[in-house]
Amino acid sequence: MLEVRGLDVKYGDVQVLWDINLTVGAGEVVAVMGPNGSGKSTILKAIIGLVRSAAGTITLDGRPIAGQPAHAMAGLGVSLVLERRRLFAQMTVLENVRMGAFHPAVRSREKERLEWVESLFPILRERRGQLAGRMSGGEQQMVAIARGLMSGPRLLMMDEPFLGLAPRIVDQIVDIIRRINGEGIAVLFNEQNVHLSFSNAHRGYLLESGRIVLEGSGLAMLEHEMVKRVYLGT
Amino acid sequence: MTLTLFLEQIVNGIILGSMYAIMGAGLALIYGTMRILNFAHGEFYMLGGFFVFFLFAQQGLNPVPAVIIAVAGVALVAAIVQRLTVHVLLKREGWAFSTIAATLGVSIFLQNLALALWGERFQSVPYFVDGLLQVGEFRLPWQRVLIFVVAVAVMGVMAYVLRYTRFGWAVRATAQDPEAAAVVGVPAARIHTMTFALGAALAAVAAALLAPVFAVNPWMGLPLIIKAFVVVVLGGLGSFPGAIAGGFLLGIVEAVGITLTSSEWRDVIAFGMMILFLWVRPWGLFGVKER
Repeated sequence: MLEVRGLDVKYGDVQVLWDINLTVGAGEVVAVMGPNGSGKSTILKAIIGLVRSAAGTITLDGRPIAGQPAHAMAGLGVSLVLERRRLFAQMTVLENVRMGAFHPAVRSREKERLEWVESLFPILRERRGQLAGRMSGGEQQMVAIARGLMSGPRLLMMDEPFLGLAPRIVDQIVDIIRRINGEGIAVLFNEQNVHLSFSNAHRGYLLESGRIVLEGSGLAMLEHEMVKRVYLGT
Repeated sequence: MTLTLFLEQIVNGIILGSMYAIMGAGLALIYGTMRILNFAHGEFYMLGGFFVFFLFAQQGLNPVPAVIIAVAGVALVAAIVQRLTVHVLLKREGWAFSTIAATLGVSIFLQNLALALWGERFQSVPYFVDGLLQVGEFRLPWQRVLIFVVAVAVMGVMAYVLRYTRFGWAVRATAQDPEAAAVVGVPAARIHTMTFALGAALAAVAAALLAPVFAVNPWMGLPLIIKAFVVVVLGGLGSFPGAIAGGFLLGIVEAVGITLTSSEWRDVIAFGMMILFLWVRPWGLFGVKER
């Protein structure tokens, strides 16, 4: 479904990504694992159009999407949950979630999607009127994911969805990713932790200093010599 | 001084405060969504004054359509100005300073354009409504009542738009997190242009209402933009409700202050209050303390 070929990204004169090749199939969960500063976020931002690519192609169902503005992507079925939630802090929970269906192409189905995401996250219905900025980290992450789902994406991307969350909440988010995927939505997420990345994904990529150095099934990645030696210290 | 006179001063302060509030709200909306200080805000106010002067005083149009056309005209000019200057600069590095230079340039350009078109004389605009509201000893020109009523109505409409319309949601979302807004499908560039035009339109509303009180000339925007900056500092940079509260506060404090001293002290009081705020509460009445 999503195909990234030979992607280079530069911030000014500084190149941060080199020759990234990455695919996400329909209904697949894919993890990009890498240490801090390896360029994980930049891959997702390049796909959604928040940063421009210097070279390479990005296609969605064979159609090129590189160079599309970020605000067009929700209409094409691609959604991104930004790192650290990034909610509209001074808006209510309900307003935040409803903003997820802002794009003209998805507006008409707002009502049914709201029911759907509130059934996925019952707490959102209870907290509708609360200011999003006043919620706990885990609750905010749920609002952020719900907002990302309101456009009815075929591909939901999440930038470090577990960052700064308590272990119990991490388990909840993992469970939510499974359920989202169970509805046939492909998921592409970033993570720094080997286990969290590869035990929760069908396939994974290992990113180091802006280059993909390894790819394979989640299981194969967990068992791989290099991953074990460098990241698990065994 | 009699109690009635004092009361009249306070009421006048509230009415002038409503104008400060509208000016400040426009500036706050623009700052809130784009993080730029619009130094041409006073000149959009001035253009609003001249458009009303031209349509109402010179062409003899009914004041209602005259004001509406003037406000819409200013919004259109502002949209074009935004596309030609701020819109281009926001995409480049160093926009925080380049937009200040650009809007300052627009301000000087518009002042001199007005000078060339209408001359340097003070042009007076007749009152839209004549007569006095009299309750016992208390007297208030109907024009001032009209200013207040329109100002409150405009604030009400703005609050409604921001709270309940798609455009309002897009403005608030863009102000709070432009990237998150873009990802859900808000076209930031278009929202920026519309917000800039709306902010200028608010200045034009204030100008249209105040034109009969203060007369019209190419430099009329200067004192008002300075007051608008004070209002925005009092209310908290970029806060719409803050600007409304700050406007009324400034109007009332000025009125009380000059009643106790004399009118030459007006600006001293305004800026004294601003300095005090910057000292003890720099994030303003409604702003959020930055961590």
